[in-house]
Amino acid sequence: MSEVADVLRRLAVVFTEFEARLEQTALIRKLTRGRFTLADYRAFLIGLRQQVKDGALWMSRAASNIDEQHLELRSKLMRHAVTEHRDFRLLDADYVATGGALADIEGAEKNLGSEALSAWMFHEASRPNPFGLLGAMWIIEGLGSIKAAEWGAMCRDRLALPDEAVRFLLYHGENDAEHIAEFETMLGLVLPDEAVAARIVRTAQVTARLYALQIEEICP
Amino acid sequence: MRLSRSECYCLAMAGLRSAYITGAGAFLPGEPVGVDRMEDHLGRIGGRDSLLGRRALRWNGVETRHYALGQDGLPVISNAGMTAEAVRAALDDAGLGRGDLQFLAAATTQGDYLVPGHAASVHGELGGGPLEIASFQSVCGSSLMAAKSAWLQVRAGEHDVAVACAGEFSSRWFRPSFYEGSALVDAKGRLRAEADYLRFTLSDGAGAIVIEPKPRPDRLSLKIEFIDLVSLAGSFDPCMWAGAAVEDRTDPLATWSHAGPAAAQAAGAVALLQDFDLLKRVIRAWVGAYLEKVDQGRIVPAEIDHLLCHYSARSLREEIVGLLEKTAGMIPEEKWFSNLATVGNIGSASIWVMLEAFLRTGRLQRGQKVLCVVPESGRAFVGFMLLEAV
Repeated sequence: MSEVADVLRRLAVVFTEFEARLEQTALIRKLTRGRFTLADYRAFLIGLRQQVKDGALWMSRAASNIDEQHLELRSKLMRHAVTEHRDFRLLDADYVATGGALADIEGAEKNLGSEALSAWMFHEASRPNPFGLLGAMWIIEGLGSIKAAEWGAMCRDRLALPDEAVRFLLYHGENDAEHIAEFETMLGLVLPDEAVAARIVRTAQVTARLYALQIEEICP
Repeated sequence: MRLSRSECYCLAMAGLRSAYITGAGAFLPGEPVGVDRMEDHLGRIGGRDSLLGRRALRWNGVETRHYALGQDGLPVISNAGMTAEAVRAALDDAGLGRGDLQFLAAATTQGDYLVPGHAASVHGELGGGPLEIASFQSVCGSSLMAAKSAWLQVRAGEHDVAVACAGEFSSRWFRPSFYEGSALVDAKGRLRAEADYLRFTLSDGAGAIVIEPKPRPDRLSLKIEFIDLVSLAGSFDPCMWAGAAVEDRTDPLATWSHAGPAAAQAAGAVALLQDFDLLKRVIRAWVGAYLEKVDQGRIVPAEIDHLLCHYSARSLREEIVGLLEKTAGMIPEEKWFSNLATVGNIGSASIWVMLEAFLRTGRLQRGQKVLCVVPESGRAFVGFMLLEAV
């Protein structure tokens, strides 16, 4: 199970299980069942912000722990971190566009799930050659390319929000095909390798569970 | 689930038999109906052509279909009647008759009666002496629920001739009276998309297979390797349903029978409805369930010679096909057999109507493997059946 296609298949299964779990969380149930309120949307933005803000940071830390034999992967992670490290500002702007106060989203505490997720990511990123984090990226990028636009459209439609209050979610929905191709290339840089393959899948599973916990904790 | 050698030994000692599909039958009512004449049979809501119809047809790729409603909108045959015709055809194809039948498993989305089950109605139409029967009610996937029951009956040695059959009379649900005067039609007389889409997607017919403990000596039979049924209803809300209004569909206490039939009709809780947003997520869940089977080695894509999928490759979105290819899960499109475009989507009957048409093509060779995949959007269900030509 160490070839790229085998790992991608395992990851696809982990992602669909993750989606099924998200579907059952109280917050997403409110969204899909038409019970979602503006307060829920604001809480959602606050919840998302923690991981988005930390994302570029753990990615940078992971890059700094990648050895010279894997420079290409290191470059990719660094570029990725640069591209994304200001994205949380977009969440702030969306929050303000809904009529919320900037200080509220900036000063919000991480929920229990976000604490666990963040601790896990930085822990993994601190290990030498933390290739398992590709599994974490699969989950988090998958959320961006598959779930975000879907959620964004639902939030906008249910709450009759203007597009500029839902930019983060709507804007993340693009580049789906590119996302898989890019990810495949990254997997190719560390596979085939039985132990790395297993670690990538395991890291995806843990990240998915903790991410879902973060969503659960938005509406406990 | 893989069995250990000792578990296999135990099963062999328990006397489980192999079982084979030895005949298949189909019944399609009336002449094929083209796109331009669909609403002649179904009727027009408020007397006007549907606006959504063309779009639904582009998406589902169906060109002709059959209706058990004549051009005057009156029924020409019942659901049970169609199903019984398919059972007779399947028994005949197997070289058997009604007198040989011992077990009848019948599937449908909705029988002619609310109560009792479809199998009783089909037995009623077939006539003849006592039979063991079982009814399965869901949507497309009820076909394989019935097939699993029939297969296990034969495997366990309870019966030597079992039939799994399925019938649909969807078009009666699409008559204007199901919608007019309800909350599903707006002030301008337009039908909600959740309802209108299905009017252009589903049609009528029936299919059946015969299962026996021995293959035919004179021609190919299909050994049933496994039938795996996967429900993900624990995670997903109803996606295609009838019996609840769009807004109330997740609350079992808000379903039609609590309000009573007249109030339920007015609330738009009686028609067949589909949630499109959810459908996209359900499609990914189906793909996940399939890839899990591949991952477990239960399905080996390279070993599949023919794929009969109750869903067209065309309507799978590009990224799903892309994902299947990148994960070594794709079965090349030239191995897909489908008659969906000409016979329409017949819900639970589709897989048997497709199998019957496939067997008539003569493409099947001894030793080849046939994978049947039946996804059901009802509440996130997917079934897999692997067959080998012997």
